[in-house]
Amino acid sequence: MASDDDSLATLKVLLIGPSGAGKSALLIRYCDDEFDSESSTATIGIDFKIKKLSVRGKPYRLTLFDTAGQERFRTLSTSFYRGAHGVLLVYDISSRASFLSMEKWFEEAENNTGPDVVLYLVGTKLDKAEVVGRAVSTEEGEELARQHGALFCEVSAKTGEEVRRPFVEVVDGIIRKGLDVGSGRTGGTVKVGADEEGQGGYLSVCAC
Amino acid sequence: MTQLPYAIDAETPLNPAELNVLKAQYEKEGDMVGVQTKFNYAWGLVKSNVRADQHLGVMLLSEIFRTSPERRRECLYYLALGNYKLGNYGEARRYNDLLLDKEPHNLQASNLGALIDDKVAKEGLMGVAIISGVAVAAGVIGGVLLRNLGRKR
Repeated sequence: MASDDDSLATLKVLLIGPSGAGKSALLIRYCDDEFDSESSTATIGIDFKIKKLSVRGKPYRLTLFDTAGQERFRTLSTSFYRGAHGVLLVYDISSRASFLSMEKWFEEAENNTGPDVVLYLVGTKLDKAEVVGRAVSTEEGEELARQHGALFCEVSAKTGEEVRRPFVEVVDGIIRKGLDVGSGRTGGTVKVGADEEGQGGYLSVCAC
Repeated sequence: MTQLPYAIDAETPLNPAELNVLKAQYEKEGDMVGVQTKFNYAWGLVKSNVRADQHLGVMLLSEIFRTSPERRRECLYYLALGNYKLGNYGEARRYNDLLLDKEPHNLQASNLGALIDDKVAKEGLMGVAIISGVAVAAGVIGGVLLRNLGRKR
């Protein structure tokens, strides 16, 4: 079983965004199909899950790094980006402040990754749109994503609506950008791997 | 799925350059070191695979725990993690249980708890195996000695 797993191409995807946006909830819904509104404890540092998924008939192992949104962990965040292929930038559609902070999160992601990394903007808590109303329109989300060359969708971890979409599409985006999936045998094993590229960025430590 | 959960911070040491950045900042601030700088360095140390680093990391975290109540939850988590890596499973569990008392739904703490339990169970079995090995050996030696004694008589 392990040997079978090891042969899979491994993609690293990071979830970032402000505290309370619902990064962990999104991940738990996607990986375990669970949602517990009681269990909202802020992530400490970084958490991690693995999920296998197939995109265009080819299986991948997705390693998902769930980062803490709290400011106190952000000075450590550059180390999280090492070797990342994709970044999901997550905000809460019912919180204006959370959306307004996204420029800062894009900046962090762009400063810590290369041009081949796929950025994906995700608006969460879509279920709240009908209950308490939105603070951010779909169009605003789309526009921000477009400005940064990112993909975009809105999801609800609570209802499960669209939760697979950002993960499938970020993998698809990664494949399109760098991986040669169509060439069959000659393409062979894809060159992206879990191995670290060594040159990983320095931690930027601000003396704040 | 019987797979063990992950404690990603236990398995992802920083590279030396990254750890050095944190160390340099910590040393630069000297006696007036800020709690964020100190925590950052402690975090990097606990993630390290070098035992001496892990020790120092746990020490710094204990200090932060005492002086900065607002940092307690992450200190508890990394104190548990550091002690787990050092093989101090009793201490690790104690810190982890303190965090779980406050946050019963904390998945990271439950995962770390499962990892600690697993290690303790494995090392417990190992202990049993060693003790029973010793007992068997003692039995054999004892038997041989007794037999020899019997012959001498």
